Amino acid sequence: MSTGFWGTTAIVGVGETDYVRGSDRHVCDLILDAAMEAITDAGLTPADINGIIPPPGYMSTEEIAAHLGVPDVAYHVSVLMGGASPTASLQTASMAIACGLADNVLVCMGWNGYSALSPKPDAQPTKRTMNLGPMGETVRNFYAPYGLMSAAQHYSLYLRHYVEKHNVSEDAAAAVAMACRKHAQLNSKALMRGKPLTREDYNASPYIAEPLRKFDCCVETDCATAIVVTSLERARDLAHPAAVYLGGAEGHPAPADEIANRPNLLELGIHRAAPRAFERAGVQAHDIDVLEIYDCFTYVVLLQLEALGYAEPGGAGEFVANGNVELGGKFPMNTHGGLLSQGHCWGLNHVVEAVRQIRGTADAQVKGAELALVTGYGDLGDGSVAILGSDR
Amino acid sequence: MRTYIPKPEWIILDWHHDCIAAEMLCIQQCAACGVWRHPPRKFCASCFSDDVSFQPVSGNGTVLSKAVSHRSLDPGWQEQAPYATLLVELAEGPRVLAATSVAPDEIEIGHHVTVRIDPHGHDFALVWADPVSTTTSRLESTT
Repeated sequence: MSTGFWGTTAIVGVGETDYVRGSDRHVCDLILDAAMEAITDAGLTPADINGIIPPPGYMSTEEIAAHLGVPDVAYHVSVLMGGASPTASLQTASMAIACGLADNVLVCMGWNGYSALSPKPDAQPTKRTMNLGPMGETVRNFYAPYGLMSAAQHYSLYLRHYVEKHNVSEDAAAAVAMACRKHAQLNSKALMRGKPLTREDYNASPYIAEPLRKFDCCVETDCATAIVVTSLERARDLAHPAAVYLGGAEGHPAPADEIANRPNLLELGIHRAAPRAFERAGVQAHDIDVLEIYDCFTYVVLLQLEALGYAEPGGAGEFVANGNVELGGKFPMNTHGGLLSQGHCWGLNHVVEAVRQIRGTADAQVKGAELALVTGYGDLGDGSVAILGSDR
Repeated sequence: MRTYIPKPEWIILDWHHDCIAAEMLCIQQCAACGVWRHPPRKFCASCFSDDVSFQPVSGNGTVLSKAVSHRSLDPGWQEQAPYATLLVELAEGPRVLAATSVAPDEIEIGHHVTVRIDPHGHDFALVWADPVSTTTSRLESTT
């Protein structure tokens, strides 16, 4: 390890609600339920929490602390990188702990990702909103006037370029979608449990924004997740085996606030984050036992696998073929079903699954998993990586 | 076609005003080092000069990528679906998004386009890009 900091903190508590479309519960209930579950899972009480990283919107640290009965918030910060936020938050939480600013840090995420756009007929929609961060101004001024409102449309600007430049086949994208759906069949909370996906289903699904078909896109859900981070020293006295935060990083494309004028459209934040994360954790790509890759869209998974070094640019199709990323394969990926088939909780659900894999308690457990790699991806291509390991 | 039109502010509003006044696409250029830049920025990030202004461009460009949308949250655009949005690299270097009047399968990556603006009121201009006509291409290839 490159410094004494990495490997000194660990995730000790996880919580998650069900992943549903049209929750009967208010978004605040979801967030607080997940938070309380994570604290209890760690064997702690709210009085032990003194650091909070809140979701990007919906609820403030102040509110969360007051509802949970956290008496003394010593440190809080917001991380605004869209879907790259939760994985990047591990850096911030661990720094606060290592520097003595906080002892036990709660990281929360939750939203009404489905109900915000498709409310039930009798539902009272929340006036709470998420913080769009850097996307808001760019989309409002430069993309939406051209009919590009959704993330699928924004990302299709470079995914189309990716597919044409490298002649990426639809087989590669379908393999990602089907691996996630297969794993969701084993996950007790997955939205798509009981709904297998065949290649024929994939081929028949309509385009949303080319090259993205419906089944290349993640599932919007109402859900919340939370984790508790503490020092490895304290973790050893707590309820579960520690998932040690061995190393992590964030990265941003340049410019990060706009897609069209990047010299290389396909150089994203994760291309910068990945080498930093591996160096900090002192491990290499081939050492990893289980991959939890941010899967807002299938082709974005392929790009990230290439950035992580699992394939040459344009070559991820081979890596995801022949069951290599399925349970039983060499690099099982998104063992909970991912955003594509478990549900969309901004990738904090990927962190929760990685912790369970390290503990050995996942629904779709990779035998003997000791090293898990999680990625986050958000806004207009920001990236984050976290490498978790067992306390060997 | 009624579609979403934003209310720009700050230097983005300046950009739209100068395009509308010039009746053609303008792009920010640094007077000190000559670099063209889009979207507009506070000062020249290449030489740090703040002597930047919006200058007319040739209007010639090449399609670098295209988004083909089959669904849109905007009712006006939804009526047009499927429609292409072009990512155009201008001859001057910067890239702009542009609407196009041709069908998605009539325009491909690498095609040459001509860019124009379409003002909506006093504060916003939409950029359009259409393929260079075959006559023009033939003329270009013989000169």
